[in-house]
Amino acid sequence: MSAWSVTEPSRASKWVAGLLVVLYTCITLLPLVWIISTSFKSGPDSISYPPKILFQPSLEGYVNLFTTRTRIAAEDFAALPPPETWYDRIVRDQGMVIAGQSRFGERFLNSVIIGFGSTFLSIFLGTLAAYAFSRFKVPLKDDLLFFILSTRMMPPIAVAIPIYLMYRELGLSDTHLGMILLYTAVNISLAVWLLKGFIDEIPREYEEAALIDGYTRFQAFRKVVLPQAATGIASTAIFCLIFAWNEYAFAVLLTSGNAQTAPPFIPTIIGVGGQDWPAVAAGATLFLLPVMIFTILLRKHLLRGITFGAVRK
Amino acid sequence: MTGFLTGLLRLRRGPWEMLASILIALGVVMLMQPFFLWAYTWSFLVTLVGTVMFIVVSHFPE
Amino acid sequence: MPNPLEAAARATPAPLARRVRGLSDRAIAWIFVAPTILLLLAINIFPLIWTVRLSFTNYAANRPNREVEWVGLRNYSRILTDDGIWANMQTTAHFLVWTILLQVVLGFTLAWLINRKFRGNDLLTTLIVLPMMLSPAVVGNFWTFLYQPQIGLVNYAVELVTGIPASSFSMLGPGGLAKWSIIIVDTWMWTPFVMLICLAGLRSIPDYIYEAAEVDRASKWRQFWTITVPMVLPFLMLAVLFRGIENFKMFDMVVLLTGGGPGNETLLASIDLKREAFEKWRTGYSSAYAIILFVTVFGLASIYVKALNKVKER
Repeated sequence: MSAWSVTEPSRASKWVAGLLVVLYTCITLLPLVWIISTSFKSGPDSISYPPKILFQPSLEGYVNLFTTRTRIAAEDFAALPPPETWYDRIVRDQGMVIAGQSRFGERFLNSVIIGFGSTFLSIFLGTLAAYAFSRFKVPLKDDLLFFILSTRMMPPIAVAIPIYLMYRELGLSDTHLGMILLYTAVNISLAVWLLKGFIDEIPREYEEAALIDGYTRFQAFRKVVLPQAATGIASTAIFCLIFAWNEYAFAVLLTSGNAQTAPPFIPTIIGVGGQDWPAVAAGATLFLLPVMIFTILLRKHLLRGITFGAVRK
Repeated sequence: MTGFLTGLLRLRRGPWEMLASILIALGVVMLMQPFFLWAYTWSFLVTLVGTVMFIVVSHFPE
Repeated sequence: MPNPLEAAARATPAPLARRVRGLSDRAIAWIFVAPTILLLLAINIFPLIWTVRLSFTNYAANRPNREVEWVGLRNYSRILTDDGIWANMQTTAHFLVWTILLQVVLGFTLAWLINRKFRGNDLLTTLIVLPMMLSPAVVGNFWTFLYQPQIGLVNYAVELVTGIPASSFSMLGPGGLAKWSIIIVDTWMWTPFVMLICLAGLRSIPDYIYEAAEVDRASKWRQFWTITVPMVLPFLMLAVLFRGIENFKMFDMVVLLTGGGPGNETLLASIDLKREAFEKWRTGYSSAYAIILFVTVFGLASIYVKALNKVKER
């Protein structure tokens, strides 16, 4: 690059731009920082005014998130043996005893099972379909692609009514399989569109060379195209996983106990006398943190995927 | 403008898609505007006609 | 696996071999596409057709034994003359217009600033993008905490900056602020999306156009309006349509923030639909409601795809 370039912004303008963007970043991250810090506060600290920026860290929120607690009569409370574990002690400090485990662990596990199950399925089916759309003459190709995209745009509540009725008939409501199939159906449109873009970028010559070498179509697909598309497949998988992880509307309408995921569960966490904010914050933190870490670690693929999905066909 | 009209007459895709898009946009505006109840009442029909038209005319030749 | 077709193909010269395999290409294409199409037919299209059918009846899902009557277009005519639902559409419009406006202004500005390519811009981009990756439901839930009257962080920040006492207003309570509160959260969450699309647009402008303009002694201001804006506009258009569609069917974030309240102040169409369908159990009526929303989204989606093709041609 030459020393003089009209398109290279001046140093001063870079500084100003940088400062403004840093300012925006700080403001936009504040709610996230706040929710993480609230998860380490004690109950009274979390609702003190003015809000406490410095506080004694406590694991109360996390303990409350994973347990259910009860108050017992004062004389019984005094007669209890001293607390045996650190979490026992935290609960006793609030004047309560542990009554049992909460359902958060279960809900979190449901999120993991349904998220990974539907991601695997939508990537598997999506890769096949995307390859076919990218390489073969499929009749009515444009109509099919538009049809696939338009299913993504459907308002969840609009299809929820018959899906609710259909699942009730088939015995799929509140099951893992039902949710996996449903999320696969929603994700597959994104998967096909993104993957078609990635596969379109792989030169056809590679496969043609493989075909001439005596590979069958299927072998060429498996041994030539799949390795080339690996990064594309990986970033598509992350999008599908994030969608299934975050989804709320279907989850709240179609699941109640057995297969409920974490998003409909977290808002229902309540303590004694109103919402237990440190516990809610702890649940939100545990739930959001994996996504944040994923986003930061895989930023290159993710950012490319977002623009790719919206801008390219 | 004359290009647009001859395109319509010859059943070309471009101008017809434009017309369908305008109908859809009009329908959406009618649905959400706060001024006339009659416009709200007929908005759905306008959007529906626009959408069906869009699907049909996207098969016209370029 | 030795199969006769395979063996024949191996023995024939390359062009002919390709034709032999070419015959099965069509079969492979169908085998590859069919599962996807079948799944979508079963879980999207079949329910949709069912919704259309239900929308002409008075069926109620909580009373499956009641005799189902065919009511023709009555559900539609009732919805389309209902003042309450019309008001919900206007609430939706208010939410749509303001979120899109704010996100476009903020998103474009940010993209324009980030495009100065200062040091560390990619790390900042990642950090800015974080909110849009999170679960809207959980986000809505924890913003209710930030919006708590008297103790919330937002009230505190407002008092700190403007001096208005924190106890004198409530972001989610009565007083008309709730419909702005949901706009703030949506903007917080989705500005990064518009920013990324704009950034893709800005980066698609080749340098030589600016260099040519510089040779012609066009001012920076003029370059901005005659090169940057028109070149980014198609991308911006896509972002606007996409956000428009998403927010037209917005449900999760707002339902957890306000649940449609106070009163009906933030009752977006899809939240109202959920109440009709799953709380009042007027299945037939709400199916017609769903179809109205669906056709609107579908219409917007076709414009979106058209715009997409325009951008792709670039």
